[in-house]
Amino acid sequence: MSLSSMVDRAASLSRWRNRPVAEKACLGLGFLILAVSLPPWPGAALVGGAMLVITFAGARVPFRLWATVAVLPVGFLAAGSVALMLQIGPDGLAPAPGGVAAAGLLTLRALAATSCLLFLALTTPATDLLSGLRRLGVPVEVVEIALLTYRFVFLIGDTAVAMTHAQRARLGHSTRRRRLRSVGLVIANLLPRALDQARRMETGLAARGWAGDMRVLSNTPRASPTALLAIFTLQVAVAAAGAWLA
Amino acid sequence: MHIMEGYLPASHCAAWYAASAPFVVAGALRIRKIVRERPEARMILAASGAFAFVLSALKIPSVTGSCSHPTGTGLGAVIFGPSVMAVLGVLVLLFQALLLAHGGLTTLGANTFSMAVVGPWVAYAIWRLGRGLGLSVALSIFLAAALGDLATYVFTSVQLALAYPDPTSGIVGAVAKFGGIFAVTQIPLAIAEGILTVVVIDALAGKTADADKVGVLAGEIR
Repeated sequence: MSLSSMVDRAASLSRWRNRPVAEKACLGLGFLILAVSLPPWPGAALVGGAMLVITFAGARVPFRLWATVAVLPVGFLAAGSVALMLQIGPDGLAPAPGGVAAAGLLTLRALAATSCLLFLALTTPATDLLSGLRRLGVPVEVVEIALLTYRFVFLIGDTAVAMTHAQRARLGHSTRRRRLRSVGLVIANLLPRALDQARRMETGLAARGWAGDMRVLSNTPRASPTALLAIFTLQVAVAAAGAWLA
Repeated sequence: MHIMEGYLPASHCAAWYAASAPFVVAGALRIRKIVRERPEARMILAASGAFAFVLSALKIPSVTGSCSHPTGTGLGAVIFGPSVMAVLGVLVLLFQALLLAHGGLTTLGANTFSMAVVGPWVAYAIWRLGRGLGLSVALSIFLAAALGDLATYVFTSVQLALAYPDPTSGIVGAVAKFGGIFAVTQIPLAIAEGILTVVVIDALAGKTADADKVGVLAGEIR
Protein backbone atom coordinates (compact mmCIF):
# COMPACT_ATOMS: atom_id res chain seq x y z
CA MET A 1 0.00 0.00 0.00
CA SER A 2 2.79 2.35 0.85
CA LEU A 3 4.06 2.15 -2.71
CA SER A 4 0.82 3.46 -4.19
CA SER A 5 0.70 6.31 -1.64
CA MET A 6 4.32 7.08 -2.48
CA VAL A 7 3.63 7.22 -6.21
CA ASP A 8 0.51 9.31 -5.65
CA ARG A 9 2.35 11.76 -3.43
CA ALA A 10 5.23 12.05 -5.88
CA ALA A 11 2.79 12.75 -8.71
CA SER A 12 1.01 15.45 -6.71
CA LEU A 13 4.26 17.11 -5.64
CA SER A 14 5.91 16.82 -9.02
CA ARG A 15 7.47 19.88 -10.62
CA TRP A 16 5.27 19.23 -13.63
CA ARG A 17 2.11 18.79 -11.56
CA ASN A 18 0.56 21.96 -12.96
CA ARG A 19 1.52 21.39 -16.57
CA PRO A 20 -1.52 20.83 -18.79
CA VAL A 21 -2.65 17.20 -18.70
CA ALA A 22 -3.00 17.15 -22.49
CA GLU A 23 0.71 17.97 -22.90
CA LYS A 24 1.87 15.30 -20.46
CA ALA A 25 -0.53 12.72 -21.90
CA CYS A 26 0.64 13.44 -25.47
CA LEU A 27 4.21 13.13 -24.32
CA GLY A 28 3.80 9.92 -22.30
CA LEU A 29 1.21 8.12 -24.42
CA GLY A 30 2.70 9.24 -27.74
CA PHE A 31 6.11 7.88 -26.81
CA LEU A 32 4.47 4.77 -25.39
CA ILE A 33 2.86 4.03 -28.76
CA LEU A 34 6.19 4.68 -30.50
CA ALA A 35 7.98 2.37 -28.05
CA VAL A 36 5.80 -0.63 -28.93
CA SER A 37 5.41 0.08 -32.65
CA LEU A 38 8.97 1.05 -33.69
CA PRO A 39 11.59 -1.70 -34.16
CA PRO A 40 13.24 -2.17 -30.73
CA TRP A 41 16.70 -1.34 -32.01
CA PRO A 42 17.24 1.57 -32.33
CA GLY A 43 13.61 2.85 -32.15
CA ALA A 44 12.73 1.82 -28.60
CA ALA A 45 16.21 2.77 -27.40
CA LEU A 46 15.71 6.31 -28.76
CA VAL A 47 12.25 6.50 -27.17
CA GLY A 48 13.59 5.27 -23.85
CA GLY A 49 16.49 7.73 -23.98
CA ALA A 50 14.22 10.66 -24.80
CA MET A 51 11.77 9.70 -22.08
CA LEU A 52 14.48 9.33 -19.44
CA VAL A 53 15.93 12.75 -20.32
CA ILE A 54 12.46 14.30 -20.07
CA THR A 55 11.72 12.48 -16.80
CA PHE A 56 14.97 13.34 -15.02
CA ALA A 57 16.08 16.59 -16.62
CA GLY A 58 12.68 18.05 -17.41
CA ALA A 59 10.31 16.91 -14.69
CA ARG A 60 13.17 16.30 -12.19
CA VAL A 61 11.75 13.04 -10.88
CA PRO A 62 14.05 11.77 -8.09
CA PHE A 63 16.02 8.79 -9.39
CA ARG A 64 15.66 6.71 -6.20
CA LEU A 65 11.89 6.97 -6.32
CA TRP A 66 11.88 6.04 -10.00
CA ALA A 67 14.10 3.02 -9.34
CA THR A 68 11.94 1.81 -6.43
CA VAL A 69 8.85 1.79 -8.64
CA ALA A 70 10.73 0.17 -11.54
CA VAL A 71 11.83 -2.89 -9.51
CA LEU A 72 8.56 -4.79 -9.97
CA PRO A 73 8.40 -4.67 -13.78
CA VAL A 74 12.08 -5.62 -13.97
CA GLY A 75 11.29 -8.79 -11.99
CA PHE A 76 8.65 -9.75 -14.55
CA LEU A 77 11.11 -9.02 -17.33
CA ALA A 78 13.77 -11.29 -15.82
CA ALA A 79 11.31 -14.21 -15.46
CA GLY A 80 9.90 -13.73 -18.95
CA SER A 81 13.33 -13.56 -20.58
CA VAL A 82 14.17 -17.05 -19.31
CA ALA A 83 11.34 -18.43 -21.45
CA LEU A 84 12.66 -16.65 -24.54
CA MET A 85 16.20 -17.91 -24.08
CA LEU A 86 15.14 -21.59 -23.93
CA GLN A 87 13.37 -23.75 -26.47
CA ILE A 88 11.52 -27.03 -26.16
CA GLY A 89 12.86 -29.32 -28.88
CA PRO A 90 12.76 -33.08 -29.50
CA ASP A 91 15.40 -33.56 -26.82
CA GLY A 92 13.90 -31.41 -24.11
CA LEU A 93 14.93 -27.93 -23.01
CA ALA A 94 17.84 -26.35 -24.84
CA PRO A 95 19.14 -22.82 -25.28
CA ALA A 96 17.24 -21.21 -28.16
CA PRO A 97 19.36 -19.99 -31.10
CA GLY A 98 19.18 -16.21 -31.11
CA GLY A 99 17.24 -16.36 -27.86
CA VAL A 100 19.56 -13.98 -26.05
CA ALA A 101 19.20 -11.43 -28.85
CA ALA A 102 15.41 -11.81 -28.86
CA ALA A 103 15.27 -11.41 -25.09
CA GLY A 104 17.57 -8.39 -25.30
CA LEU A 105 15.38 -6.63 -27.87
CA LEU A 106 12.24 -7.40 -25.89
CA THR A 107 13.88 -6.09 -22.72
CA LEU A 108 14.79 -2.90 -24.56
CA ARG A 109 11.23 -2.36 -25.77
CA ALA A 110 9.65 -3.19 -22.42
CA LEU A 111 12.03 -0.85 -20.55
CA ALA A 112 11.36 1.98 -23.01
CA ALA A 113 7.60 1.50 -22.58
CA THR A 114 7.95 1.28 -18.80
CA SER A 115 9.86 4.57 -18.73
CA CYS A 116 6.89 6.19 -20.53
CA LEU A 117 4.46 4.72 -18.01
CA LEU A 118 6.60 5.84 -15.08
CA PHE A 119 6.86 9.35 -16.54
CA LEU A 120 3.07 9.61 -16.57
CA ALA A 121 2.65 7.92 -13.17
CA LEU A 122 5.20 10.15 -11.43
CA THR A 123 4.20 13.52 -12.92
CA THR A 124 0.42 13.30 -13.27
CA PRO A 125 -1.96 12.31 -10.48
CA ALA A 126 -4.35 9.54 -11.52
CA THR A 127 -7.34 11.86 -10.97
CA ASP A 128 -6.09 14.23 -13.69
CA LEU A 129 -5.73 11.37 -16.14
CA LEU A 130 -9.17 10.01 -15.26
CA SER A 131 -10.81 13.41 -15.71
CA GLY A 132 -9.18 13.48 -19.12
CA LEU A 133 -10.96 10.22 -20.00
CA ARG A 134 -14.29 12.07 -19.90
CA ARG A 135 -13.13 14.21 -22.81
CA LEU A 136 -12.35 11.03 -24.76
CA GLY A 137 -15.98 9.90 -24.57
CA VAL A 138 -15.87 7.41 -21.68
CA PRO A 139 -19.36 7.39 -20.04
CA VAL A 140 -19.70 9.82 -17.12
CA GLU A 141 -20.95 7.09 -14.78
CA VAL A 142 -17.81 5.02 -15.28
CA VAL A 143 -15.48 8.01 -14.84
CA GLU A 144 -17.31 9.03 -11.66
CA ILE A 145 -17.00 5.52 -10.27
CA ALA A 146 -13.31 5.52 -11.22
CA LEU A 147 -12.75 8.83 -9.40
CA LEU A 148 -14.62 7.60 -6.33
CA THR A 149 -12.67 4.33 -6.44
CA TYR A 150 -9.42 6.31 -6.46
CA ARG A 151 -10.48 8.21 -3.34
CA PHE A 152 -11.51 5.02 -1.58
CA VAL A 153 -8.24 3.25 -2.42
CA PHE A 154 -6.26 5.28 0.09
CA LEU A 155 -8.94 5.23 2.82
CA ILE A 156 -9.36 1.47 2.63
CA GLY A 157 -5.62 0.95 2.23
CA ASP A 158 -4.91 2.82 5.48
CA THR A 159 -7.44 0.65 7.28
CA ALA A 160 -5.84 -2.52 5.90
CA VAL A 161 -2.38 -1.37 6.99
CA ALA A 162 -3.64 -0.60 10.51
CA MET A 163 -5.35 -3.99 10.78
CA THR A 164 -2.23 -5.82 9.62
CA HIS A 165 -0.09 -3.92 12.15
CA ALA A 166 -2.44 -4.92 14.94
CA GLN A 167 -2.33 -8.58 13.88
CA ARG A 168 1.47 -8.57 13.62
CA ALA A 169 1.73 -7.14 17.12
CA ARG A 170 -0.41 -10.06 18.36
CA LEU A 171 1.67 -12.78 16.60
CA GLY A 172 -0.93 -13.09 13.87
CA HIS A 173 1.77 -13.61 11.27
CA SER A 174 4.02 -15.96 13.26
CA THR A 175 3.30 -19.11 11.26
CA ARG A 176 2.19 -19.66 7.70
CA ARG A 177 -1.17 -21.06 8.79
CA ARG A 178 -1.89 -18.13 11.09
CA ARG A 179 -0.79 -15.73 8.44
CA LEU A 180 -3.23 -17.08 5.89
CA ARG A 181 -5.99 -16.91 8.49
CA SER A 182 -4.99 -13.38 9.47
CA VAL A 183 -5.03 -12.16 5.88
CA GLY A 184 -8.43 -13.80 5.47
CA LEU A 185 -9.69 -12.00 8.57
CA VAL A 186 -8.37 -8.65 7.34
CA ILE A 187 -10.14 -9.10 4.01
CA ALA A 188 -13.33 -10.28 5.69
CA ASN A 189 -13.35 -7.29 8.04
CA LEU A 190 -12.32 -4.87 5.34
CA LEU A 191 -15.16 -5.54 2.90
CA PRO A 192 -18.08 -4.76 5.28
CA ARG A 193 -16.18 -1.73 6.56
CA ALA A 194 -15.58 -0.46 3.06
CA LEU A 195 -19.22 -0.97 2.11
CA ASP A 196 -20.41 0.59 5.36
CA GLN A 197 -18.18 3.61 4.84
CA ALA A 198 -19.53 3.90 1.30
CA ARG A 199 -23.13 3.81 2.56
CA ARG A 200 -22.47 6.44 5.23
CA MET A 201 -20.73 8.69 2.75
CA GLU A 202 -23.58 8.25 0.30
CA THR A 203 -26.13 9.23 2.97
CA GLY A 204 -24.08 12.24 3.95
CA LEU A 205 -23.70 13.43 0.40
CA ALA A 206 -27.36 12.75 -0.45
CA ALA A 207 -28.35 14.93 2.53
CA ARG A 208 -26.32 17.73 0.95
CA GLY A 209 -28.07 17.39 -2.39
CA TRP A 210 -25.37 15.45 -4.21
CA ALA A 211 -26.57 14.62 -7.70
CA GLY A 212 -23.77 12.26 -8.55
CA ASP A 213 -21.03 14.26 -10.19
CA MET A 214 -17.78 15.23 -8.52
CA ARG A 215 -16.94 18.73 -9.62
CA VAL A 216 -13.54 19.74 -8.33
CA LEU A 217 -11.82 23.06 -9.02
CA SER A 218 -8.91 22.50 -11.31
CA ASN A 219 -6.39 25.24 -11.94
CA THR A 220 -4.28 23.57 -14.58
CA PRO A 221 -3.78 25.84 -17.59
CA ARG A 222 -4.93 24.91 -21.09
CA ALA A 223 -2.42 23.13 -23.29
CA SER A 224 -0.39 25.61 -25.35
CA PRO A 225 -0.29 24.92 -29.11
CA THR A 226 3.45 25.69 -29.14
CA ALA A 227 4.21 23.03 -26.54
CA LEU A 228 2.02 20.48 -28.32
CA LEU A 229 3.71 21.28 -31.62
CA ALA A 230 7.14 20.86 -30.00
CA ILE A 231 6.09 17.48 -28.55
CA PHE A 232 4.80 16.25 -31.89
CA THR A 233 7.94 17.46 -33.69
CA LEU A 234 10.12 15.62 -31.19
CA GLN A 235 8.05 12.45 -31.60
CA VAL A 236 8.10 12.62 -35.38
CA ALA A 237 11.88 13.13 -35.25
CA VAL A 238 12.34 10.12 -32.96
CA ALA A 239 10.03 7.99 -35.13
CA ALA A 240 11.85 9.01 -38.31
CA ALA A 241 15.27 8.36 -36.75
CA GLY A 242 14.10 4.99 -35.41
CA ALA A 243 12.67 3.89 -38.75
CA TRP A 244 15.58 5.22 -40.78
CA LEU A 245 18.35 3.71 -38.63
CA ALA A 246 16.67 0.31 -38.39
CA MET B 1 1.47 -11.25 -12.28
CA HIS B 2 0.13 -9.04 -15.05
CA ILE B 3 1.89 -8.65 -18.38
CA MET B 4 4.21 -5.68 -18.03
CA GLU B 5 4.18 -2.48 -20.08
CA GLY B 6 5.63 -2.89 -23.56
CA TYR B 7 5.94 -6.67 -23.37
CA LEU B 8 3.45 -7.41 -26.15
CA PRO B 9 3.91 -6.27 -29.77
CA ALA B 10 1.60 -3.49 -30.97
CA SER B 11 -0.64 -5.82 -33.03
CA HIS B 12 -1.28 -8.06 -30.01
CA CYS B 13 -2.03 -5.05 -27.79
CA ALA B 14 -4.66 -3.85 -30.27
CA ALA B 15 -6.17 -7.33 -30.70
CA TRP B 16 -6.56 -7.87 -26.94
CA TYR B 17 -8.08 -4.41 -26.53
CA ALA B 18 -10.61 -5.34 -29.21
CA ALA B 19 -11.28 -8.72 -27.58
CA SER B 20 -11.97 -7.34 -24.12
CA ALA B 21 -13.92 -4.26 -25.29
CA PRO B 22 -17.33 -6.01 -25.68
CA PHE B 23 -17.17 -7.39 -22.14
CA VAL B 24 -16.19 -4.05 -20.65
CA VAL B 25 -18.86 -2.18 -22.65
CA ALA B 26 -21.49 -4.70 -21.54
CA GLY B 27 -20.35 -4.26 -17.94
CA ALA B 28 -20.41 -0.46 -18.29
CA LEU B 29 -23.97 -0.57 -19.65
CA ARG B 30 -25.00 -2.76 -16.74
CA ILE B 31 -23.37 -0.38 -14.26
CA ARG B 32 -25.12 2.52 -15.95
CA LYS B 33 -28.46 0.77 -15.51
CA ILE B 34 -27.71 -0.09 -11.88
CA VAL B 35 -26.69 3.50 -11.13
CA ARG B 36 -29.78 4.95 -12.87
CA GLU B 37 -32.09 2.73 -10.86
CA ARG B 38 -30.26 2.97 -7.55
CA PRO B 39 -27.88 5.93 -7.33
CA GLU B 40 -26.66 4.68 -3.96
CA ALA B 41 -24.99 1.73 -5.72
CA ARG B 42 -22.36 4.13 -7.10
CA MET B 43 -20.53 4.40 -3.79
CA ILE B 44 -20.81 0.66 -3.19
CA LEU B 45 -19.29 -0.08 -6.59
CA ALA B 46 -16.48 2.39 -5.99
CA ALA B 47 -15.76 0.93 -2.57
CA SER B 48 -15.76 -2.57 -4.06
CA GLY B 49 -13.30 -1.52 -6.75
CA ALA B 50 -11.01 0.05 -4.17
CA PHE B 51 -11.37 -3.05 -2.03
CA ALA B 52 -10.22 -5.20 -4.95
CA PHE B 53 -7.21 -2.93 -5.42
CA VAL B 54 -6.25 -3.12 -1.74
CA LEU B 55 -6.76 -6.90 -1.84
CA SER B 56 -4.13 -7.14 -4.54
CA ALA B 57 -1.70 -5.27 -2.30
CA LEU B 58 -2.05 -7.79 0.54
CA LYS B 59 0.50 -10.56 0.46
CA ILE B 60 -0.48 -14.16 1.08
CA PRO B 61 2.08 -16.84 1.96
CA SER B 62 2.41 -19.81 -0.36
CA VAL B 63 3.91 -23.27 -0.02
CA THR B 64 7.15 -22.48 -1.80
CA GLY B 65 7.89 -19.68 0.64
CA SER B 66 7.39 -17.01 -1.95
CA CYS B 67 4.58 -14.53 -1.54
CA SER B 68 1.96 -13.41 -3.95
CA HIS B 69 -1.22 -11.45 -3.77
CA PRO B 70 -4.80 -12.70 -4.06
CA THR B 71 -6.49 -11.72 -7.30
CA GLY B 72 -9.92 -11.36 -5.75
CA THR B 73 -11.52 -12.31 -9.05
CA GLY B 74 -13.24 -15.33 -7.50
CA LEU B 75 -14.61 -13.36 -4.58
CA GLY B 76 -15.82 -10.54 -6.83
CA ALA B 77 -17.36 -12.82 -9.44
CA VAL B 78 -19.27 -14.81 -6.83
CA ILE B 79 -20.57 -11.72 -5.01
CA PHE B 80 -21.15 -9.22 -7.83
CA GLY B 81 -21.38 -11.39 -10.93
CA PRO B 82 -18.91 -11.46 -13.82
CA SER B 83 -20.27 -8.61 -15.97
CA VAL B 84 -19.79 -5.94 -13.29
CA MET B 85 -16.40 -7.44 -12.47
CA ALA B 86 -15.18 -6.65 -16.01
CA VAL B 87 -15.47 -2.91 -15.35
CA LEU B 88 -14.18 -3.09 -11.78
CA GLY B 89 -11.33 -5.22 -13.10
CA VAL B 90 -10.33 -2.60 -15.68
CA LEU B 91 -10.35 0.10 -13.01
CA VAL B 92 -8.21 -2.00 -10.68
CA LEU B 93 -5.77 -2.80 -13.49
CA LEU B 94 -5.60 0.88 -14.46
CA PHE B 95 -4.80 1.93 -10.90
CA GLN B 96 -2.28 -0.88 -10.55
CA ALA B 97 -0.53 0.39 -13.67
CA LEU B 98 -0.63 4.06 -12.63
CA LEU B 99 0.09 3.66 -8.91
CA LEU B 100 2.27 0.53 -8.76
CA ALA B 101 3.71 0.13 -12.29
CA HIS B 102 2.13 -3.36 -12.11
CA GLY B 103 0.86 -4.22 -15.58
CA GLY B 104 0.71 -1.44 -18.12
CA LEU B 105 -1.34 0.75 -20.44
CA THR B 106 -0.45 -0.95 -23.74
CA THR B 107 -1.05 -4.35 -22.14
CA LEU B 108 -4.23 -3.21 -20.38
CA GLY B 109 -6.41 -4.95 -22.99
CA ALA B 110 -4.60 -8.26 -22.61
CA ASN B 111 -4.55 -8.08 -18.82
CA THR B 112 -8.23 -7.14 -18.78
CA PHE B 113 -9.06 -10.20 -20.83
CA SER B 114 -7.23 -12.63 -18.56
CA MET B 115 -7.92 -10.95 -15.21
CA ALA B 116 -11.33 -9.33 -15.61
CA VAL B 117 -12.99 -11.57 -18.21
CA VAL B 118 -11.54 -15.11 -18.16
CA GLY B 119 -10.91 -15.30 -14.38
CA PRO B 120 -14.33 -14.04 -13.24
CA TRP B 121 -16.29 -16.02 -15.86
CA VAL B 122 -14.48 -19.26 -15.00
CA ALA B 123 -14.97 -18.62 -11.29
CA TYR B 124 -18.64 -17.77 -11.80
CA ALA B 125 -19.27 -20.82 -14.02
CA ILE B 126 -17.63 -23.13 -11.48
CA TRP B 127 -19.57 -21.55 -8.63
CA ARG B 128 -22.89 -22.07 -10.45
CA LEU B 129 -21.89 -25.57 -11.52
CA GLY B 130 -20.81 -26.51 -8.01
CA ARG B 131 -24.08 -25.27 -6.52
CA GLY B 132 -26.02 -26.98 -9.30
CA LEU B 133 -24.32 -30.29 -8.54
CA GLY B 134 -25.24 -29.88 -4.90
CA LEU B 135 -21.72 -29.27 -3.57
CA SER B 136 -21.47 -27.34 -0.30
CA VAL B 137 -21.07 -23.55 -0.39
CA ALA B 138 -17.55 -23.80 1.04
CA LEU B 139 -16.37 -26.33 -1.56
CA SER B 140 -17.99 -24.44 -4.45
CA ILE B 141 -16.37 -21.19 -3.36
CA PHE B 142 -13.01 -22.86 -2.88
CA LEU B 143 -13.11 -24.38 -6.37
CA ALA B 144 -14.41 -21.19 -7.97
CA ALA B 145 -11.72 -18.97 -6.40
CA ALA B 146 -8.83 -21.42 -6.88
CA LEU B 147 -9.66 -22.34 -10.48
CA GLY B 148 -10.59 -18.76 -11.38
CA ASP B 149 -7.16 -17.63 -10.14
CA LEU B 150 -5.42 -20.47 -11.99
CA ALA B 151 -7.40 -19.84 -15.21
CA THR B 152 -6.23 -16.22 -15.15
CA TYR B 153 -2.59 -17.23 -15.06
CA VAL B 154 -2.90 -20.07 -17.56
CA PHE B 155 -4.55 -17.59 -19.92
CA THR B 156 -1.75 -15.08 -19.31
CA SER B 157 0.72 -17.80 -20.34
CA VAL B 158 -1.31 -18.43 -23.49
CA GLN B 159 -1.26 -14.73 -24.31
CA LEU B 160 2.52 -14.61 -23.89
CA ALA B 161 2.91 -17.79 -25.95
CA LEU B 162 0.83 -16.37 -28.81
CA ALA B 163 3.12 -13.36 -28.90
CA TYR B 164 6.37 -15.31 -28.52
CA PRO B 165 6.03 -18.85 -29.94
CA ASP B 166 8.85 -21.32 -29.36
CA PRO B 167 11.29 -21.51 -32.33
CA THR B 168 10.99 -25.32 -32.61
CA SER B 169 7.81 -26.42 -30.86
CA GLY B 170 5.69 -23.36 -31.70
CA ILE B 171 2.85 -22.02 -29.58
CA VAL B 172 2.29 -25.28 -27.66
CA GLY B 173 5.89 -25.34 -26.51
CA ALA B 174 5.73 -21.68 -25.59
CA VAL B 175 2.59 -22.25 -23.50
CA ALA B 176 4.52 -24.92 -21.62
CA LYS B 177 7.49 -22.58 -21.09
CA PHE B 178 5.53 -19.53 -19.97
CA GLY B 179 3.11 -21.74 -18.05
CA GLY B 180 6.05 -23.30 -16.21
CA ILE B 181 7.16 -19.85 -15.10
CA PHE B 182 3.89 -18.01 -14.53
CA ALA B 183 1.17 -20.65 -14.03
CA VAL B 184 2.68 -23.72 -12.34
CA THR B 185 4.22 -21.52 -9.65
CA GLN B 186 0.71 -20.19 -9.20
CA ILE B 187 -0.88 -23.53 -8.21
CA PRO B 188 -0.06 -23.27 -4.49
CA LEU B 189 -1.14 -19.63 -4.59
CA ALA B 190 -4.40 -20.59 -6.26
CA ILE B 191 -5.05 -23.12 -3.49
CA ALA B 192 -4.18 -20.47 -0.90
CA GLU B 193 -6.56 -18.03 -2.55
CA GLY B 194 -9.28 -20.68 -2.57
CA ILE B 195 -8.91 -21.30 1.17
CA LEU B 196 -8.66 -17.57 1.79
CA THR B 197 -11.89 -16.87 -0.09
CA VAL B 198 -13.72 -19.53 1.94
CA VAL B 199 -12.40 -17.92 5.15
CA VAL B 200 -13.55 -14.51 3.89
CA ILE B 201 -17.05 -15.59 2.83
CA ASP B 202 -17.48 -17.53 6.05
CA ALA B 203 -16.41 -14.62 8.22
CA LEU B 204 -18.59 -12.25 6.20
CA ALA B 205 -21.76 -14.27 6.17
CA GLY B 206 -21.10 -16.67 9.03
CA LYS B 207 -24.45 -16.34 10.70
CA THR B 208 -26.67 -16.78 7.66
CA ALA B 209 -27.92 -20.08 6.29
CA ASP B 210 -25.92 -21.75 3.53
CA ALA B 211 -28.42 -21.01 0.76
CA ASP B 212 -28.48 -17.21 1.05
CA LYS B 213 -24.89 -16.66 2.17
CA VAL B 214 -23.87 -14.93 -1.03
CA GLY B 215 -27.14 -13.07 -1.59
CA VAL B 216 -26.64 -11.35 1.76
CA LEU B 217 -23.31 -9.91 0.63
CA ALA B 218 -24.32 -8.52 -2.72
CA GLY B 219 -26.86 -6.04 -1.31
CA GLU B 220 -27.62 -3.21 -3.69
CA ILE B 221 -25.61 -4.44 -6.64
CA ARG B 222 -27.58 -7.58 -7.47
